[in-house]
Amino acid sequence: MKLILLLWQREGISIIRNTFQIIMLSTVFLLGMYAIYYGHSKITEQQKTIKNVEQIEKEEFEHYKKSFYRDHTSVKEKQLFDIASKPAYAWYRHGYHAILNPHSLAHMSLGQRDIEPYYYKLTGMSLYYQLFQIELANPLKLYAGNFDLSFVLIYLFPLLIIAFTYGLYAEEKENGMLPLLRLQTIGLRKILLIRMAFYYVLIVGLGILLSSIGFLVSSELDVLSIFLWISAILCYLSFWFALMFLLISLKKNSSLTAISAASLWLLFLIVLPAILNVYANLVYSIDNTSLAEITRRKGLENEDDVNESKAVIFEYLQNRNDLKGADSLIEINIMAKAYAAFTALNDNHHRKEVSDYFDQIRLRQKRISAFRWANPAVNTQGILNEIVETDSEIFQSFYQSIESFHKDITSFYFDKLFLNKEITSKDYETLPKFNLKIDSQDRNQKIRNGFIEIMVATFLLFGLSWILFNKTTF
Amino acid sequence: MKRQVFLISGKELKGLARQNSLKILFTIIMVLLGFALYAGHIAYKQQKIMVETAQKERRAEWLDQGDKHPHIAAHYGTYVFKPKTLLSLFDFGLDTYTGTSVYLEAHYPHEFMFRPAQGYGNMIRFGELSAALVLQLLLPLLIIFITFQTFTKEKETGTLKLLVSQGVSIRSIYLGKVLAYSIIVFTIMVPFFTGLYIVGTIENTSSVITDMGVRVLLLFLVYIGYLWAFTNFSVWISLKSSSARNALLTLLIFWIVTGIIIPKTSANLGETLYPLPSMKIYKEAIQNDIANGMNPNETKEKRMARLKEDYLQQYGVDSLNQLPLNFEGIQMQEGEEYTNKVYDFHDAALYKKFELQNRAGSLMGFVAPYIAVRNLSMAFAATDWYSFNDFQEKTNNYRRHLIRSMNNDMAKNSRYGEFYEYKAGRNLWETISDFKYLTPKVTMIFKYYGMELASLSLWVLIMFILIPSSSKNKFI
Repeated sequence: MKLILLLWQREGISIIRNTFQIIMLSTVFLLGMYAIYYGHSKITEQQKTIKNVEQIEKEEFEHYKKSFYRDHTSVKEKQLFDIASKPAYAWYRHGYHAILNPHSLAHMSLGQRDIEPYYYKLTGMSLYYQLFQIELANPLKLYAGNFDLSFVLIYLFPLLIIAFTYGLYAEEKENGMLPLLRLQTIGLRKILLIRMAFYYVLIVGLGILLSSIGFLVSSELDVLSIFLWISAILCYLSFWFALMFLLISLKKNSSLTAISAASLWLLFLIVLPAILNVYANLVYSIDNTSLAEITRRKGLENEDDVNESKAVIFEYLQNRNDLKGADSLIEINIMAKAYAAFTALNDNHHRKEVSDYFDQIRLRQKRISAFRWANPAVNTQGILNEIVETDSEIFQSFYQSIESFHKDITSFYFDKLFLNKEITSKDYETLPKFNLKIDSQDRNQKIRNGFIEIMVATFLLFGLSWILFNKTTF
Repeated sequence: MKRQVFLISGKELKGLARQNSLKILFTIIMVLLGFALYAGHIAYKQQKIMVETAQKERRAEWLDQGDKHPHIAAHYGTYVFKPKTLLSLFDFGLDTYTGTSVYLEAHYPHEFMFRPAQGYGNMIRFGELSAALVLQLLLPLLIIFITFQTFTKEKETGTLKLLVSQGVSIRSIYLGKVLAYSIIVFTIMVPFFTGLYIVGTIENTSSVITDMGVRVLLLFLVYIGYLWAFTNFSVWISLKSSSARNALLTLLIFWIVTGIIIPKTSANLGETLYPLPSMKIYKEAIQNDIANGMNPNETKEKRMARLKEDYLQQYGVDSLNQLPLNFEGIQMQEGEEYTNKVYDFHDAALYKKFELQNRAGSLMGFVAPYIAVRNLSMAFAATDWYSFNDFQEKTNNYRRHLIRSMNNDMAKNSRYGEFYEYKAGRNLWETISDFKYLTPKVTMIFKYYGMELASLSLWVLIMFILIPSSSKNKFI
């Protein structure tokens, strides 16, 4: 213990005396603070939009509800009441919102939240006319990526580890201190590990400090997510320390150790993921051009032809056994029914195509993530995104939930429309509601596997370095 | 002096050729460059086939849509797909982050859909391997690895003193070393860009780029300038450093700060300084202006009343039924024109914000040459924001022409109040020619990249200034 304190004191003094190292630590800390600020401002902006969207929806439905208790003498009042009570007007006018609320820690790892839309306005109109929208974003900014805390921890912290540890052995040799150290009764490996432990505490401590600031600015504290986040950081940074232990154990000169470390950083953070992305594009290329066509606003070929309208309605009702008796009621609101039926049939017709498209995306993502184990940086980014629910899978679940929400919306209006029923004020108590369905088990499994993979890699590297250190000579 | 420079350069090259680790690094770079170009070529081909097939299908759909009212046809509309430019095989640029298709219909100028990045998952944010990425980030790293100890080693072994005592100036040694490393860079660059030009010429038959040769030449010049400046800077750092370790650390920090940290921070800072509205708020503002007018005199009701009055007066009739053309068509077109005006106004404000955001990054090019070369490379490969914007503008004009043609036909050939009675056919659909896109001439792009050109030129100029003068031998 005395030895540990002595060596740590020496390292502490050397850091204080080294202006360059102090500047490096302060810069990373300040960049971390900016990253928290940036992430927080981005999520706050999204929350504002969500509130605005929710308010619009609330006000719209409040208007409809109130119209039941008003005189309908003026044209405007009558129109509003018709939209509120008649499914023939309401099905394509009533606007609902499906929202993917940000997780309380989303600001720490923004993931795909800047690329994927996080809210949708839905009516009973064709789902696919409404589903494939994009959010406003500057493409150059998307290309540059988010400067959030996960970026600082995943990209910059390994550089800190490299900068502080690459010379721990080689510099002693180059400065002529090694023969003196060899004279001591304590083994060189032990001295090295104690010194590395000092930097481990310092850098991991800085990571936890920044993360804690990130936790504090969040709206609510989710203990499990905090625990998982810190565990992920510990695993990832431990991996880099183990990797540096391995490089140091090879006992090369400080320049070669630094070059090797920088090359490994480049390999994990840039080259491997970049190659994998290109590989994914080549092998699992996704054709979205065929999907474009289904977003078209379509209508009946001859909407003035009553027989054509009836044929469309009958075709729709054939698939709706629950709407018994509706076929005898088609003379009323025939145009509205024909359009509703046409829209539903059109969506049914394209469902497989859309599902195939999403399957292609899922398959590609599954195949790419199969390589996650080989790259702790990508693995950690994936884990962090999964913890704070900003990963691409959550958006897949969001799309799927939207599909079922749209089904609820159309059922709500179409059932009344085809059975010639009006919407009553009581019906407003049972309006369709959006529910996000997530496969939590699958997500937890992924996070667990990610942890295991990084930990196994870390222990393997550490074990190998432990053996190598005493076997190699400088 | 010339002879000395060549001698030193030759000696340097021989020394490098003996280092196995450098041979491995050099091979890795060449393999990555080859793989990136191959992958880029395959991706280009795949995308080209997809886009051409889809475009043909949509064209056939438009022509074979049958007889219908022109306004229904205007709503049926058509699609335009963004073609990949041939040089995207070299630099993907923003292609992954811009939409790939757009639905063109009446009343609603839709946004581009399907950003390819949406289909990749989390890993896409780590970037894609393109030949441009290899030249912008990986090759400079190779330069650092081969140059950082070029002077420090001479100092440590004492050969620098020996050389100077024999009358060789620091300037000659410096130039000899820079020449040697520049030859290595040229050895990579010349065959690579020649290959790119050949691929470009072979594939150029149906390309959307018309000035391939000039663009490849400009790309070559930009990269040569950038890599030469980087080589010079690395040698200069080695000259100024007291040890190889210090030189390596300084260069690695420079590479990381200017290649990774500054580009990301400046883009994020740009967004913080000039935040964008959400799509919802943006569209709401547009819809509000369309309905209520951009000024109190331009509400929809007032505009339509004025239009009606003007037409009745112009034709000297009392009612719309007496007009020799269908007023509904005129009304539709007026609505379109006003919608276009509102969209143009809001789009211009939005694009201004994009420009301001990007300018923050461009300005940082003076500190980080990577930013300047990255932006210029995208621009010359026609995968930058301005090229996308040009494509967007041309699709917009095409949409406006299509809708105008439908409305004019409706006004000329149908009667007021008779919607279902009139149907147009293939003859009208054929008057709308197929959408063909050509990128603007590269000279048109220059005006947007003054800052990048200035910063890169400044870096090159500074490097010339940094070359030690022949009278100074004080570095040893």
